[in-house]
Amino acid sequence: MRNAHVLIRSFTILTLAVLLPGLVLAAEPKRGGTLRVAYGNKVSHLDFHTAPGYEMMWVAMNIGCGLVNITPDGQFVGDAATAWKLSDDALTWTFKLRDDAFFHDNTQVDAEAVKFSIDRIMDPETKSGMRRFYESVQSVEVVDPLTVKVHMKQPYAFFLHMLAGYRTGLVLYSPAATQAHSLKARKRGDPSAVIGCGPFRLVEWVPNNHLVMDRWEKYFKPGQPYVDRVLIRVIRDPIAQMVAFKTGEIDFIASFSPEHVQTIQAQVPEAQVLTGPETTPMVLRGKVTVPCDGKPDASMTNPRCPHPIFGDIRTRKALLCYGIDREEIVKVALRGLATPWVGMIPPGTMDTVDVNYMCPYDPDKAKTLLEELGYGPDNPLVTELTTDTEKAVFNAIATVVKDQLARLGVTVNIKLVDKVTWMNTGLKDGPWDMDVEDLLSLLTLDSNAYLTVTQSTWNQTRQTDVTVDEYFARYATEMDADKRRAIAKEFQEFMADKLYWNVVSGSPFFQIAQPWMKGYTFNSEFEVHYETVWLDR
Amino acid sequence: MREYIIRRLLQVIPTVLLITLVVFAMMQAIPGDPLMALLGDAYDEEDAQLLRQEYGLDKPIISQYFIWLGKLVQGDWGESFISGRPVLQDVLIRLPVTAELIVLAMLVALLIAIPAGTIAALRQNTWGDYTAMSTALMGISIPDFFLGILLLLVFSVSFNGLLPSSGWVYLPGTCPSLICEASVWGNLKHVMMPAIALGVGRAAILTRLLRASLLEIIRMEYVTTARAKGLTEKLVILKHALKNALIPTVTIMGLQVGFMIGGAIVVETLFAIPGLGTYGINAIILRDYQQVQGFILLVAVCFVVVNVWVDLTYSLLDPRIRYNA
Repeated sequence: MRNAHVLIRSFTILTLAVLLPGLVLAAEPKRGGTLRVAYGNKVSHLDFHTAPGYEMMWVAMNIGCGLVNITPDGQFVGDAATAWKLSDDALTWTFKLRDDAFFHDNTQVDAEAVKFSIDRIMDPETKSGMRRFYESVQSVEVVDPLTVKVHMKQPYAFFLHMLAGYRTGLVLYSPAATQAHSLKARKRGDPSAVIGCGPFRLVEWVPNNHLVMDRWEKYFKPGQPYVDRVLIRVIRDPIAQMVAFKTGEIDFIASFSPEHVQTIQAQVPEAQVLTGPETTPMVLRGKVTVPCDGKPDASMTNPRCPHPIFGDIRTRKALLCYGIDREEIVKVALRGLATPWVGMIPPGTMDTVDVNYMCPYDPDKAKTLLEELGYGPDNPLVTELTTDTEKAVFNAIATVVKDQLARLGVTVNIKLVDKVTWMNTGLKDGPWDMDVEDLLSLLTLDSNAYLTVTQSTWNQTRQTDVTVDEYFARYATEMDADKRRAIAKEFQEFMADKLYWNVVSGSPFFQIAQPWMKGYTFNSEFEVHYETVWLDR
Repeated sequence: MREYIIRRLLQVIPTVLLITLVVFAMMQAIPGDPLMALLGDAYDEEDAQLLRQEYGLDKPIISQYFIWLGKLVQGDWGESFISGRPVLQDVLIRLPVTAELIVLAMLVALLIAIPAGTIAALRQNTWGDYTAMSTALMGISIPDFFLGILLLLVFSVSFNGLLPSSGWVYLPGTCPSLICEASVWGNLKHVMMPAIALGVGRAAILTRLLRASLLEIIRMEYVTTARAKGLTEKLVILKHALKNALIPTVTIMGLQVGFMIGGAIVVETLFAIPGLGTYGINAIILRDYQQVQGFILLVAVCFVVVNVWVDLTYSLLDPRIRYNA
């Protein structure tokens, strides 16, 4: 763990060392040029309220604007909103909007647009992935053209966090453009249908190939954006990304594979390697319950029975807690670039607590627990570990885990599937024992709720303990920050004890920028904004 | 000849239909559906169920297939479940890119195979033969992606960007989108490495085949007769032996087109080329049935048409072959 911290610290120092001269020069940003960005995955479609994937989000944040954004140190800054206030009873948020914000169809960003956008997200017909985060919202009221109130059903401590950085955050839609164009037109990326109020307007999207955005001249932040154009290219292969970067064909890799970071540093020593404390958990989970009748039941309406292996907490403790050496996993599979971690939220997430002491590597204790359960040479435990091909590191972790558990006399068969098959198995309550994945970048513990609460489709381990739901509810509605932190600590200890959701480490996130790319602020996967970027070639 | 071509093209229809049916059934048998990819981390079973009804994915497989087929005969190739874009338009944009890549890769293969195979046959059991055959063995053994990476490291990295590592420059007049570059020289620079990566493996196969074929031909009586007539060795080989030896080579070339489309998936991904290969692999990964069907349909038609064309070239190589009804 110490090594991981040293490495992360050295990356941060390196990053600062590279960025600081840039910040000095940043006093005089140069306008013009094309920022060439590589994305490792394609953008699925361009209806920002419904499309999945980080790549889409990073487009949405630049074409769209919202009410607020969040800085790397957790401060809220206005986007289309200039001021915001929560009522004393914590049930009404009032937002004041700026009067110089315009959508790309030249209509004004006003209170009606805010109401229209939130109502659209909350409408079940829209099928927005953001809808679940608006469950606390009662209604949206237009007070005057530049004032909007959001009435809450109950206090929600993370409303601003959600507006700023849960998935896309709130992306405001132009009511006129949205009503004038079909959903299909927006999804397929017709520039006249994809209308935001962000610093760039969509020029062209060719799926799987490129996306072009040009500066929106009426953008409300004076002088921004600095670059004329952003050209996003899809380059899937990390080696091809690296070569394109080295030859200067691209300026920025928005998400770079950790296993190649040391190579790119050696190849292009002047590159800016941007990273920070991990915000995505790397999980190694065991399925907790299965349908008693054996028929997959994603909605968990029928009786549940304990999973034959991981339904017993002693097996979870033996295999997922004491039986795995997190330090070794990080050293071997993640090249020391992550933090070994037990807590359900990683070290970079707000209110995180180090509960590593609860799961020290203790193979003897693990063996004792397995013997207690009746496993041993005469009755060897054989289990399956499913992982997917989305990232090479998942399989590397699975291999190290297989080796570590073999030391306990446990046979692990690795099942490698593609991402959709993995999703299909997990989301539809299919048969699986263990899995390795890195799921979702977490701004807050609250944003983990939809992956864990008992009735969620994404509760893939199918744990049925309503205490988990109660913890999430208490945490989200507690408006006192100190009390909230105390709940978070208690909750993380509870989860590390029950192991409904087991973490092995953080999942590191890297971005790579050319030395001439200035003004970019690294903020994990949450905020990828290009309006402050300028090119000093 | 015309009747032969028409007959062969008509044979394409049941073949292609069968292929699309098999692929359709196989895609449905793979776990997961396009809604997993469409909704991603926003997946919710209730929303997915509604969308399944909206897209007709809740219908029996055979009904879905015939709905697709019904639209197809009206010229509607459907729309991507994920992006909502028309499939026909998207595959036609990408077809010329992959076609150019495959044609040039085949050219690379022939430029290597014809001289190497001929030398190996004429200098059997000499160092020239051994060199050609060892090189061919290496060519077969090196996977396309590995050779591609080696080329990238040499021509893009070591020679400081001599050849571009990724992307595509279109030939003038073929730009399918608003924002794209078009120039002959740029296109050549972009296609060179992918074509070599894709062509070398095929060159190796064709070299071995041509050698074997030529070895057999040069021992035939009509070649001895040609020599007895006093023709120069060059004329005997080029006019009489090589032409006949090329018939099996040309047959294999036609079949290799299918393998090259498979190879194009890997090479296009490595070099980030906006061709059919990257389109197809993404469609499969995302279970976008409409896109997969469009991709397979186009590939199947191209494959069959290329092989009809290959059959027709036999008569050019051997005048005794006629295509009478």
